[in-house]
Amino acid sequence: MKADDLQALKDAALTDACAAQTVEDLEKIRVKHLGRKGLLPEIMKSLKDADPAERPAIGRIANELKQELASLLESRRAAFQAQTACQTQAFDDTLPGQWRPLGTRHPISQIIEEAVRIFATLGFTVADGPDIETEYYNFDALNTPGNHPSRDTQDTFWLESGELLRTQTSPVQIRVMEEQKPPVRIIAPGRCYRRDTTDATHSSNFHQIEGLYVDRDVSMADLKSDISYFARQMMGPDVKVRFRPHFFPFTEPSVEYDFSCHVCGGKPALAGRGCRLCKNSGWIEISGAGMVNPKVFEKVGYDPETTTGYAFGMGVERIAMVKYSIQDIRLLYDNDIRFLRQLSG
Amino acid sequence: MKVPLSWLKEYVDLDVEPKALAERLTFAGLEVESLEVIGSDFKGIVTGEVLSIKPHPTADSPEHSALSQPAEPGNLLLCEVSNGKDVRRVVCGARNFSVGDKVPLAEVGALLPNGTTIEVAVIRGEASHGMLCAEDELGLSDDHSGLLILPPDTPAGTSLSKVLGPPETVLTLEVTPNRPDCLSLIGIAREVAALYGCRLKMPAASFQEEGPAIDTCTSVRVEDPEACPRYTARILSQVTIAPSPFLARRRLTLAGIRPINNIVDITNYIMLECGQPLHAFDQTLLNEGRIVVRRARSGERMATLDGAERTLAPELLVIADARQAVAAAGIMGGAASGILDTTRTVLLESACFKPAVVRKGSKQLSLSTESSYRFERGVDINLVDWASRRATALMTQWAGAKAAKGVIDVYPMEPKPRNITCRFDRVRQLLGVDIANDPIAAIFESLALPVVQRNGKSCTVQAPTFRPDLETEADLIEEIARMHGLDNIPARAPSHGGGVPADDRPTRAVMRCRSLLIGLGLSEIVNYSFVCEDLLNRIDTGAADRRIVLPRPISADHSILRPWLLPQMIDTLGRNRSRQIAEAAFFELGRIFLKNPAGALCEEEHLAVGLMGAVGRSGLEKRRPLREEDSFAWLKGILEALGAALSFPLHSPRQQDAVPGIALSPLPPGSAAPEGFPLHCFKDHCRMSIILNGENCGVLGLVTDEIRRDYRILEPVAVLEIRLAPLLRHAWETPSAERLPVYPAVTRDIALRVGKDIKHEVIIRTIWKMAPKELTDIRLFDIYKSVELGVGFKSVAYSLTYRSAERTLTDDAVNSLHECVKAGLRSELKAEIREG
Repeated sequence: MKADDLQALKDAALTDACAAQTVEDLEKIRVKHLGRKGLLPEIMKSLKDADPAERPAIGRIANELKQELASLLESRRAAFQAQTACQTQAFDDTLPGQWRPLGTRHPISQIIEEAVRIFATLGFTVADGPDIETEYYNFDALNTPGNHPSRDTQDTFWLESGELLRTQTSPVQIRVMEEQKPPVRIIAPGRCYRRDTTDATHSSNFHQIEGLYVDRDVSMADLKSDISYFARQMMGPDVKVRFRPHFFPFTEPSVEYDFSCHVCGGKPALAGRGCRLCKNSGWIEISGAGMVNPKVFEKVGYDPETTTGYAFGMGVERIAMVKYSIQDIRLLYDNDIRFLRQLSG
Repeated sequence: MKVPLSWLKEYVDLDVEPKALAERLTFAGLEVESLEVIGSDFKGIVTGEVLSIKPHPTADSPEHSALSQPAEPGNLLLCEVSNGKDVRRVVCGARNFSVGDKVPLAEVGALLPNGTTIEVAVIRGEASHGMLCAEDELGLSDDHSGLLILPPDTPAGTSLSKVLGPPETVLTLEVTPNRPDCLSLIGIAREVAALYGCRLKMPAASFQEEGPAIDTCTSVRVEDPEACPRYTARILSQVTIAPSPFLARRRLTLAGIRPINNIVDITNYIMLECGQPLHAFDQTLLNEGRIVVRRARSGERMATLDGAERTLAPELLVIADARQAVAAAGIMGGAASGILDTTRTVLLESACFKPAVVRKGSKQLSLSTESSYRFERGVDINLVDWASRRATALMTQWAGAKAAKGVIDVYPMEPKPRNITCRFDRVRQLLGVDIANDPIAAIFESLALPVVQRNGKSCTVQAPTFRPDLETEADLIEEIARMHGLDNIPARAPSHGGGVPADDRPTRAVMRCRSLLIGLGLSEIVNYSFVCEDLLNRIDTGAADRRIVLPRPISADHSILRPWLLPQMIDTLGRNRSRQIAEAAFFELGRIFLKNPAGALCEEEHLAVGLMGAVGRSGLEKRRPLREEDSFAWLKGILEALGAALSFPLHSPRQQDAVPGIALSPLPPGSAAPEGFPLHCFKDHCRMSIILNGENCGVLGLVTDEIRRDYRILEPVAVLEIRLAPLLRHAWETPSAERLPVYPAVTRDIALRVGKDIKHEVIIRTIWKMAPKELTDIRLFDIYKSVELGVGFKSVAYSLTYRSAERTLTDDAVNSLHECVKAGLRSELKAEIREG
């Protein structure tokens, strides 16, 4: 036997092993080549007759054949067995998974909890007040003139007892400041009520988050900085805030603030067919804020000379609608499970 | 407030893009709500002179007569109109014009602002070569009452754009209630002047006094000078009532006020110009021709200019003549003394009424007017006479009036000037911006707030009477903020404040409770605090006297403050069911509102849970018939899981007398509902009160078939409602870790044949009662009924766990413990031990 012949033999054996279709085929190949009466023992026996010059090469190839073929046969046998096992023990792994799904947090709660979290990182804690308020806390203490239109029965739900349903979360400011000396850093989420006829953007029942920060040197720049931080955390890292002057009786100066549109990035012109959310203005009106009116400080017994502070209110539904592209505020109170699942968070 | 820009430019020289102006105003606190361009280049529309007017010769053919006769006889006119060169025959439907009038003629080919192209049209057999236009057709206003009549001296053929001027830009401003001065063009012009550094131009208010001395013509008596701190009257005689000049009519229209006649238009024009509402009386219609300002008499009635006959409340401030009320002060004039076409002598009122008085009157009359709107917010008491003079000047020009000599000016107490000091450092501190002293003072001056005193630390500003909003230093700082620009206030890193954070564990407990419920697979819902009476009555009629009813609800659907959460919970489940949703697991955390027995209004946080359909089953099991006890068990499981997670003390089974943390106690028919909770919505055999630490805190049960039928819910519905505070009582108790057991446990199963009415709890109790101390746990794992067991019997199987704290239990030891339990069950429950 020549080394070349042996090499050909080896190649043929490996090819056979690769082509085998069953475990039985593999066994036949093993017997044929590696069995006691197989080809390989034959070769080893005939080695002594071979050309001494070729003997080392023949020995090497024979060795290789033995090892490679044995290993190939073994791995193919294992593969066949695994396949068989799969076929006999398999289940339908495409069946749906079985575990109770999580429930969903209402979008209003999502916004409130997220706001609480964001402001907590700035040291704000949550304060609370009643929905049924007195005229004093809702209006008088907040420097709302006695003849201010918002006191009208047109705008406010008055109750037979002479109390009212709070029209804003601002009364919580007063309740907290009456109890606590500065510094004060609170946010107060809660329900508010106004006599708005319900439509796609108005609801007589809505939620606000009140914020109040009172200390010695609180400035409008702090207000802008904190609202900006909130905007970035709530709406996205690139969102900016702008102020527009406005009027509220309990703050002076007062502002309304807008967030830059998180959908078009404040650049509606680059958004192809324009931006539906911000109506191509690049800005979204959010809510009102301002520096606490010194008259409010007087009401709660703070020294308006040494104390300054900011306050803000934000409409929870407004933020939810903006953030989640909700077209109609009534969806938030309709509680259709399909809607709630879309916004699960 | 609508501001036509060309009108605004009368008072301030301004050359700026309307859009830029709008933005600038918005950021100075005068929010521009909209910017409208009214009018167009009116291509193809010219001034037409009406040469002849004939009735449309209705055609003879039957269909034409059928159409036009007799319902609209001669409705259409056939006119000949000159365009300066040619004569056009035009069919026209309006009637407010006559031969010689100048009217807009849209020639064939003209494009109207509404998009219509004028073509030769055949109208009832007559060709119309063009169209005569009303204001709405030109896009000038909504007015379709007749053709727009152009100034008579306009030559025929003049293009309309030349007559009307270029397209007008109208800004609509949202003026905040603190800025009554900006309810006028001059007020807005003052802001614009300050913003752009230009000068405010006041129009002329001078005229010749030609008539008799005013004292000989009339008198004014003010009975309530507090409600009416100033009243002026002027008399104008030889008035000719006519339409106002074209430009004035056009401006009023653009500002949203309908022109009426020159005298009435002047009062409106001046009100828009300077913010001072005026009223013109026909003096000859006033008894004795004089004015008394007083409160209305009891039962006094008056017909107002809007045609309504009104009874006047006694507190209402009225303008009266010698006998009767002739106007509701500052709100609306009376019909009996108003300007007529025949009016020759006018008494012009310019006055100041107290805001609160006008506001109250306006509310009493349910009547809000441009005038009352301004008085409610405050007019400038020192502008009263200027406005009167300015109006008088216009009346002499537009109505040929002769002004009597002098004025009656009842102004007993001129207010003292208000000086407000503003510290420069305080400005910088409050705004957080670096702005020098000089620019601060300059801003005040630019706003016509004279700086009367100044030193290195502060300046003192005299607040003009047109700025009632300026009272304190903070108000002045706001002026700096908005003029300096809020954009110039820096946004830095967020502040990190001092102070001791309040204990907000209650809030966090609610948030945790919410997360747990979500983790249990429930979806949160949020319902209105208002609820429909009908819904309440359908779910539960009880405790109606404790409901808080809104005195003036917006709608019947929202008429009561919800006294509990379950009605809306059931309603929400039903609403979802009606939308083909077969199953839902909801919870709501919200406030409820009730009167307590003493009548005080109370509110409280509650939790409601509602389950509908096969929510507790996995996909392949969902179609299996659902039994009531399945729904009940799921809800009970939710309550137990929630309680465990909220650290409710576990019921220690060995302490027989100890109060379990959470327990359910059946409420059989006839039993009273726990304080404030509904019961009627539950099935009699399945309603429980939820007892927390021995206290009734809520209800749980299955909803009645009647209610389910109302909502077409076929599957069982299980609901609970519970007061939140007791449920969260332990949420922040800190658990402590205990050593885990060292020795292995041994379990033994036991199956009992017992009477079918013996409840699980009884069996458990019995086992615990005689259990050796090594018994640590009992688990039910099977319930089984069959004929072989015999009628009235069931088989229940439990797995019992034994473990010793001291040693490993041997089989023999466990067997003897187990025998002990078996013996007890046999004797106590007459149970037959089946195996194990």
